[in-house]
Amino acid sequence: MTTLVGAAVTPRSGARDARSQDNAVAVSVIVPVSERADDLVGLYREFAAPLAAMGRAFELVFALEPWHRSHAKAVTELAAQGAPVRALVAGQALGESSLLRAAITHCRGGIVVTLPAYRRVEAACLPVLVDRIAAGADLVVATRSPRRDPWFNRLQAQVFHVLLRSATGTRFHDLGCGVQAVRREVLEQLPLHGDFLRFLPILATRHGYRVEEIAAQQHASDRGSRVYGPGTYLRRLIDVLGLYFLVRFTEKPLRFFGLVGSAVSLTGAALLLLLLIQRLQGKGLADRPLLLLAVLLVVLGVQATALGLVGEIIVHFSALHRRSYRLTPAALVPPAES
Amino acid sequence: MEPTPFISVVVPVFNEEGNAPVLVQAVRDALTASGTWELILVDDGSSDRTGEVIRALAAADARVRMIPLARNYGQSTAMQAGFDHARGEIVVSMDGDLQNDPRDIPRLVAKLAEGYDLVAGYRVRRRDKLVTRKVPSWVANRLIRWVTGVAIRDNGCSLKAYRRELLERVRLYSDMHRFIPALAAAVAAARITELPVQHHPRLHGSSKYGLSRILKVAADLLTVKMIRSFRDRPLWMFGLAAAGATALGFAFALATVVAMLWFRPVKAHALIFPGAALLWFGLGCYLLILGLIAEGVVSAREAVEPEQPPLLREELR
Repeated sequence: MTTLVGAAVTPRSGARDARSQDNAVAVSVIVPVSERADDLVGLYREFAAPLAAMGRAFELVFALEPWHRSHAKAVTELAAQGAPVRALVAGQALGESSLLRAAITHCRGGIVVTLPAYRRVEAACLPVLVDRIAAGADLVVATRSPRRDPWFNRLQAQVFHVLLRSATGTRFHDLGCGVQAVRREVLEQLPLHGDFLRFLPILATRHGYRVEEIAAQQHASDRGSRVYGPGTYLRRLIDVLGLYFLVRFTEKPLRFFGLVGSAVSLTGAALLLLLLIQRLQGKGLADRPLLLLAVLLVVLGVQATALGLVGEIIVHFSALHRRSYRLTPAALVPPAES
Repeated sequence: MEPTPFISVVVPVFNEEGNAPVLVQAVRDALTASGTWELILVDDGSSDRTGEVIRALAAADARVRMIPLARNYGQSTAMQAGFDHARGEIVVSMDGDLQNDPRDIPRLVAKLAEGYDLVAGYRVRRRDKLVTRKVPSWVANRLIRWVTGVAIRDNGCSLKAYRRELLERVRLYSDMHRFIPALAAAVAAARITELPVQHHPRLHGSSKYGLSRILKVAADLLTVKMIRSFRDRPLWMFGLAAAGATALGFAFALATVVAMLWFRPVKAHALIFPGAALLWFGLGCYLLILGLIAEGVVSAREAVEPEQPPLLREELR
């Protein structure tokens, strides 16, 4: 687990101490501050107001990259004035997902809300998110609707979500928003490695949790045009591929690799057969570059299939340890003995 | 909770609100003379009222238990969830759609007592459509028997009885419920036999063998074959494949030499055959490396938690 240093509280005070100090907090809002960051004090004032009006105890936890130390100072000054804010600073660059993951252990609320460090939605949607959780949902994700972006941004977002929906079989409309509320127990049950935190609603759906989507008013300052570098698009594409595999083939890798492998191998074998027939008709083999392609295809196909078999070995041997299903314990009959 | 029962009947149910009460009554009737028992109904994320129906059934009879899964996981995982909660010395698995007859259970259990670890039912006078179900199933069973070497007539029949020690060694995942006998043989060296069982026509719903299902079963079958033959020493399997690839490499290397010595050397001769030889050699190395990785996986698993050894039974006569 990555360590974040609490700048407001004592350094490296364990997460559990922090939790036991204050059981009164119901809602923890985590703000990972990575690349883009608005003015945090302004952000706090804007988003704290509706939360305070809600009447539940809350805290805003800013998780900062090392180079945002200066922001941390502003936050601690706010805290000194009595505002329910904390600043946690990472020792090394972590990225948004890991910042969030590390901050979860430090926050105290039973409901965790994730909020980007830049304004995506109007603050008024936060109480709605929390209310849905209180009403029984396990995870509620905000969707910017209606979108008021330039056509190009709307298009790229749509393409991404169409891919994502067909890859995972879920139907979410705006995972780029990053504003979501989730029950703490749920968060602790889900595998949060890598960049998958962004796709928390998909993971939660897969684990059988009740996931809802609500429409939120897009923030006025979010309506600019955004064109990302090629690296970002590539990363998103790889994410979709990773999720596709995770959702469909985690327990059966050979079905994926075997299918791809045998298709490639059979193509190669067909070419080899063709070459053989032509050889029998008297056409020499030694000056047929097609032979190289045929052998290459067979080799690649065997490689893919063999990799799938290794995957199956891993799955088979880890199956004894893995809890591959989740119960809804409350519905057990007779009730579970504790 | 009731005292530990002798027989646990595990039934995964998915959208069977109409059948569930009939099923419970049928099990109750069939097992009255069979000592203590429990019926574990695993609700595999049903979308109809099945959950409520079986909750009521479980609440009304202490021998009936409900295991509610959070979503639809599929038959293998649902069955495994039931096995995980089964407390009986003997565990029986069965379909929830009333195609199996609970009255066969006492015979399966009696057979188990003769010294078997697994008794599989096979459906006689199967009441299914010929072309879409019986023929593909016949082909599949022949293939499974031939590949895995476990002589079971009907792998698709869910009605089976297991000794508890066997289930502690076998774990179902993916769609492995189709291959329980082969897995049991591979992992636990189980003693397996089979008995004819009743089969009733399906009251509603149907499923078919499509192309995608055939491909899936083919991939699973390859996996089961590997587990059966090379589970403890995957390096052998990969080593054999690597030897094959290397042999092909040598064949092409030989072809290169022959082409260079006996025939008029053309530039292409110096490219095509050696190129093919190198590709095969490359594949040989790759497979060998994969085999080593697989060995690593197996021994790492053993280091985390040693496996339970295969089952042995002492001969008394």
